[in-house]
Amino acid sequence: MHLVELSRQDHAHLRIDPARMAEQAASCHMIPLVISEFRRAIADFPIMLAKNQETGRFSPYAVMGLAPGENLFWDGAGLDSSYVPLNLGRLPFCIGIDEDETGAPRHAVCVDMESPMVDDAGPEGLVESDGRDSAYFGTIQKILQELLSWKPRTDRFIEVLAERDLIRELRLDIVLKSGAPLVITGLYAIDEDRFNRLSDADIAELRRDGILEPAYAMMLSTARIQSLIDRRNRAEAKDGAWFQ
Amino acid sequence: MTARIKSVCIVGGGSAGWLAAAVIAARHRAGTEDDLRVTLIESETVGILGVGEGTWPTMRNTLRKVGISETEFFRECNVSFKQGAKFSSWATGAEDDFYYHPLVLPEGFPSLDLASYWNQYAQGNEEVPSFSDAVCFQEAVCERGLAPKLITTPEYACIANYAYHLDAHKFAQFLRKHCVEKLGVEHVIDEVDDVVLDGQGDIAHLMTRKGGALAADLFVDCTGFHALLIGKALGVPFRPCGDVLFIDRALAVQVPYETPRQEIVPHTLSTAQKSGWVWDIGLQNRRGVGYVYSSAHTTKEEAEAELAAYVGPAIENLQPREIPIRSGHRETFWKGNCVAVGLSAGFLEPLEASALVLIELSVEMISAMMPATRDTMEITARRFNEVTHYRWDRIIDFLKLHYCLSQRADSDFWNDNRDPDSIPDSLREQLALWRYRAPGDQDFSSNNEMFPAASYQYVLFGMGFKMDLSDRSYVVRNGARADEAFRRNVLLKDKWTRVLPKTRDLIDKILEYGMAKV
Repeated sequence: MHLVELSRQDHAHLRIDPARMAEQAASCHMIPLVISEFRRAIADFPIMLAKNQETGRFSPYAVMGLAPGENLFWDGAGLDSSYVPLNLGRLPFCIGIDEDETGAPRHAVCVDMESPMVDDAGPEGLVESDGRDSAYFGTIQKILQELLSWKPRTDRFIEVLAERDLIRELRLDIVLKSGAPLVITGLYAIDEDRFNRLSDADIAELRRDGILEPAYAMMLSTARIQSLIDRRNRAEAKDGAWFQ
Repeated sequence: MTARIKSVCIVGGGSAGWLAAAVIAARHRAGTEDDLRVTLIESETVGILGVGEGTWPTMRNTLRKVGISETEFFRECNVSFKQGAKFSSWATGAEDDFYYHPLVLPEGFPSLDLASYWNQYAQGNEEVPSFSDAVCFQEAVCERGLAPKLITTPEYACIANYAYHLDAHKFAQFLRKHCVEKLGVEHVIDEVDDVVLDGQGDIAHLMTRKGGALAADLFVDCTGFHALLIGKALGVPFRPCGDVLFIDRALAVQVPYETPRQEIVPHTLSTAQKSGWVWDIGLQNRRGVGYVYSSAHTTKEEAEAELAAYVGPAIENLQPREIPIRSGHRETFWKGNCVAVGLSAGFLEPLEASALVLIELSVEMISAMMPATRDTMEITARRFNEVTHYRWDRIIDFLKLHYCLSQRADSDFWNDNRDPDSIPDSLREQLALWRYRAPGDQDFSSNNEMFPAASYQYVLFGMGFKMDLSDRSYVVRNGARADEAFRRNVLLKDKWTRVLPKTRDLIDKILEYGMAKV
């Protein structure tokens, strides 16, 4: 990864190939989400919490594989999902944070110059011939904007769940069709027993704070774990057929 | 006489008093009309001793049970991790003389007795690592200054078992806030001018300076060395044990770190001196250092010089505080409607951090056995006394073990410590048995044991004790399984010393991000 801050002068002729985005996700089993996209993400993925290794704090993720490095939605050419999380859709761009002269945080759009998506032959550019932003780059900016504006509310969502002791570790003990056992740890979900014991007043408070909808989305999304297992079984069956 | 027990009054606001209040209130107060009334009265003028700064791993469970957040505890009490103790210069006094008493049990313990195999391998073989290093990965973690967990490890959970180093003054304040705000403990600040007994010899009430009579059904004496209730009012005699444990003075200093980022040592350092030993415990903001010594074997001036030599140049600006120690305990801990907890019950040198753990065990037992009526209190008191006596005796044995195995002969302090007359019979018998077999669970069969057999193994073999297994080779017939365990320990050492963070780095993260509850 080689991140540089985007500038109109330096990057006026930068070309991007969006089709190669999925390659970057091919070996990712978890993609971080913001709560505004939960509703869309549960069409395909279970939404789970996991801890940041540096801070120990929870973040929500779309789970795409059952082991590190495994993305069960990658089919060799693209992502076999109807929804693409914002943190994939933004690639190869991201928001960098540094400080301005007064020490206040300043956000800047950066591009990863080592991404395979940065390609002189790519179909998309950032600037039109008349100097305006391209429609493609407009979409990217919208995605980055949504990530930026929903990050604090996502942090707050996690904080509320933690404060109310509504998080529990989800230990998955799976036996695959092949008979092989698979134990998954390090994923956390909403403790539904505790959630269902919340008082009416507590629920009203959660609704007011915008916690209720993403919380239900997360709880219902656990059904998608079965879809992941199915995908894994199908992938193994295919590999098995190949070797026979 | 079926008077109900409806109120408990704790006298004294140090660690003992507030731990008693927290543990009793957490169990006996639930916001109902039947709740026990828990009051703590402390004096404005009598300070707390505040030198008890090392805990056992039991403290994790105690804090969790009374509803305290471990993150808050780290933030409020200058807490750091303690992964056991490193004993230097105890066996021979030589430069490289040290061993560990870690908090992680030997690999495979207790189903596999690695001690016997180690004893066999180590005979005449310099290559074999020390006992604590051969059977346990924690020494390697400590030697590198690493923490016992990761920032992703939940509150109170661990990778390597740990206890705490804490600031006793801040700890008392922290517990007070929790007790008053969360647990419904009534807090009274007043002077106790008199303890008034009734016709049966029970404490009827305390006469306080501002508030008048303060009555309760059960009184907990946490008044420290003053022993205001159990000693002064009820006249329960003190049973000294200075004939076994010679330490009777402490010189304590608080040593600032040289730089704010100086590494924090994640274990207690205990370094033997000519007439005692020096404790050294690392908090977030300073070290607590002290020399405990026997005044029968040295002078205060000599002791100060030894402490100065240990601390180094930093001693220039420090004024050591002298604390007289009277080793021993009450003949009875619970008499009538009064039970003593903490220093009022007794005191022993802080060699194995037994002060806070005895408080925890005592208040847990008082809380669990809380008598419903005054007449059943006699049964409770008898059981409490029996168990508590047993615990003190075991601690005294274990502390003496550290001294009587030493080969040091550089002072009469060490020579006198080997005098058989100074060694309790119970310990002498154990040592006789351990000549021919390793300490095991069969030696410690009570439900109220203080130290597991593993602790005795760590000290025994750390001090250079040799077992004679010459005509009992069958006890080491399972060499393959033992080798497997030794290998596993090597792998664990390698893994955790690569993964675990530096102690100060983890504490910084805990202060900034907190630890998750799950």
